Amino acid sequence: MTKKAICFTAGKLAELGKENIPDELLSGKGLVYSSPATLAYNSPGAEGYGVKRAGLAVPESVMLIVAPGCCGRNTSLISNMPGYKNRFFYLEMNENDLVTGKHLARIPEAVTEIVEFLKDKTPRVVMICITCVDALLGTDMERVTRKAEEALRQKGFDKTRVRPCYMYALTREGRRPPMVHVRQTLYSLLEPMQKDPRTVNIIGNFAPLAEGELQRYLTRAGVTHIRQIGTSESYEDFLKMASANFNIVTDPEVRAAAEDMNANLNIPYIELTRVHGIDRIAKQYSAFAAATGIEIDDTEEREEAWEAVDALKERYPDLTFNIGESSNCDPFELATSLVRYGFKVDEIYATLSPERFVYIKNLARLSPDTKVYCNMEPTMIYYDMSGSKADITIGKDAGYYCPDIPNIAWNTDIKPFGYQGVRDLMNSIASKLEEGRA
Amino acid sequence: MRGLRKVLTPFAPDQSGAVSVLYSLGGLIVVIDAGGCTGNICGFDEPRWQGAKSAIFSAGLRDMDAILGRDELLVKKTIDAASRIDCKFIALVGTPVPATIATDYKALKRMMEKKTDLPILTIPANGMRLYDEGEAMAYRQLAEVLGEEGNENKEESETVIGQTPLTYGMDYKDVSLEQMKLLGNSKIIAASASGVSFAESMGLRYEAKAEPAMKYLTEDLKGKVLVCHDEVFGKTLRDNGVDLDIATFFTLHDSIAREGDRKISEEDDFTKMVLEGGYDTVVADEILRELIPDFKGKFIDAPCFAISGRH
Repeated sequence: MTKKAICFTAGKLAELGKENIPDELLSGKGLVYSSPATLAYNSPGAEGYGVKRAGLAVPESVMLIVAPGCCGRNTSLISNMPGYKNRFFYLEMNENDLVTGKHLARIPEAVTEIVEFLKDKTPRVVMICITCVDALLGTDMERVTRKAEEALRQKGFDKTRVRPCYMYALTREGRRPPMVHVRQTLYSLLEPMQKDPRTVNIIGNFAPLAEGELQRYLTRAGVTHIRQIGTSESYEDFLKMASANFNIVTDPEVRAAAEDMNANLNIPYIELTRVHGIDRIAKQYSAFAAATGIEIDDTEEREEAWEAVDALKERYPDLTFNIGESSNCDPFELATSLVRYGFKVDEIYATLSPERFVYIKNLARLSPDTKVYCNMEPTMIYYDMSGSKADITIGKDAGYYCPDIPNIAWNTDIKPFGYQGVRDLMNSIASKLEEGRA
Repeated sequence: MRGLRKVLTPFAPDQSGAVSVLYSLGGLIVVIDAGGCTGNICGFDEPRWQGAKSAIFSAGLRDMDAILGRDELLVKKTIDAASRIDCKFIALVGTPVPATIATDYKALKRMMEKKTDLPILTIPANGMRLYDEGEAMAYRQLAEVLGEEGNENKEESETVIGQTPLTYGMDYKDVSLEQMKLLGNSKIIAASASGVSFAESMGLRYEAKAEPAMKYLTEDLKGKVLVCHDEVFGKTLRDNGVDLDIATFFTLHDSIAREGDRKISEEDDFTKMVLEGGYDTVVADEILRELIPDFKGKFIDAPCFAISGRH
């Protein structure tokens, strides 16, 4: 038995083609190794903004998790974060509930007890979070939440809404994965209101997008209100997102919610992708300007981004990276961008899919020896960093695999965008390397 | 309302208990879940995960795997991984998903035994029971599947059962496969409820004693004392002369319980017991203090990882 983590070079993968991606790099083909990346993305309640935290993105909301105890177990990690105290509640299912479904009949009473318990701080929304068990039982949560709202009305709580929130890990690769669904649930709370042509929403992130050039371009174009769920100070403030002229979608997982808002609130949307290639960012802003009819002069920001790249290149001309997927980027896109800037990428730790194959083709041309590992692959238990040539790693998972190499996690809740993202990344890399030298 | 938690987060479940026992034994552990349960186990309930690698894998179930009951696929994935990972046994650990679709563990075991010579352990945890029950199930499977016949109770050495990180944090003590194979040669020390459950269900003689509890044996334990932790933790202090009552959210065995001891389940049960019991001192995990804001006596923090996730 060879105790070695399985990997493939970009060159080999390009040769095999996107129809023949090896099983070892694909999701669903084998058991899943417990790497930091898989623990985070395979478990919709786990790290960062998983379903639980995302479900509470609306101000003045609380969550009742109705599930076997195991599903709520790690919630104390979130409960201890600022702003989450007294926002999570649990109705634990037992074995009888599994057979009889009686737990559903108890939800209205539980919701009422929670709202009464919160006394002066009556929540505006109670999210009912259910998990794999109810996915399999086929529970009709719309009916359950309606019953819970009726129970609240009878007790005089007229303004509190009750909405379902599905933490179905089983459907992670389905048509509506949990993180798509939770975004639809959140924005479904918005009700039609008068339009304000000078209001624009940025949707996709839960924490606010870092203040940067995108907001400046919008302001220069006459937009007076840039609304985000993460900057809403109250529930009433959040509801004003319904007045937007259009939505800017910054994460593909919010596309279904954007479609809903287009249909129900008459708010069209335009997508801007988070990428690290300066030329691609420029093209994207140009297309955005053409589509919205606003003028964007990005000369200054583009030059600043190039300056940051050039400064790093000058200081560390042969810099070599390992890149993971537990970070705020698509590792294949970032690898391609870094290689185009003249850096080297030795290893990537990520799950490959046919949609990402375009990056493999480019990498195969520019850096055919870059190795691609899959975080899910069982043999990753034997990964050994001694074979790696990297000077720095990006992503929490890459830091886990290569503990002796400087790492930037690049996974903050508040994410920089566009040129600013490139600048911040280059500066973070430089700081980390300087730190190592000091 | 029964089952509603307003202050505490849920306690460590049975699947975490099972993995806690098996973690360091060199097996290939397959958690039969979609990914979330493994995330909870490795990312939260297993403090050793960051430091020491263990072959814990999620079955990576998807909705159609569960709906169609694709046991063959699970067997294939497991055997494929076992052929590439150096392991001494395979352990299948249940979660709410197999509990909901009524997975037949015996059938899975038989199917796997046809394809590998490795011993197969099956632990039908369901995520709705508590960790001590999962630990006891794992110990039983180890003894039943790997145990060797013909050992007499020679008591040549001590085997500590139930001293896992979930009860005692970093004061844990692992058993070895050898110890589990040759239990008859050992004197069994049951260090927590799971140890007691295991020994009693296997008909083994044992002594209930928790070494980590001894550090709480100080002059602070004054007046009428309530210990809310594992039952053996409380018993150990009692056996060393402290006059106390035990409250436990986990199993309370008849063999351990004395008058005044109580198995509790709800947040209110603890609050009521403290306030109505007239206790001078409470020994419990700090997180439980929030349930008794009106308690005026002395509170001694005794962390229990299964309750709070604190070491």
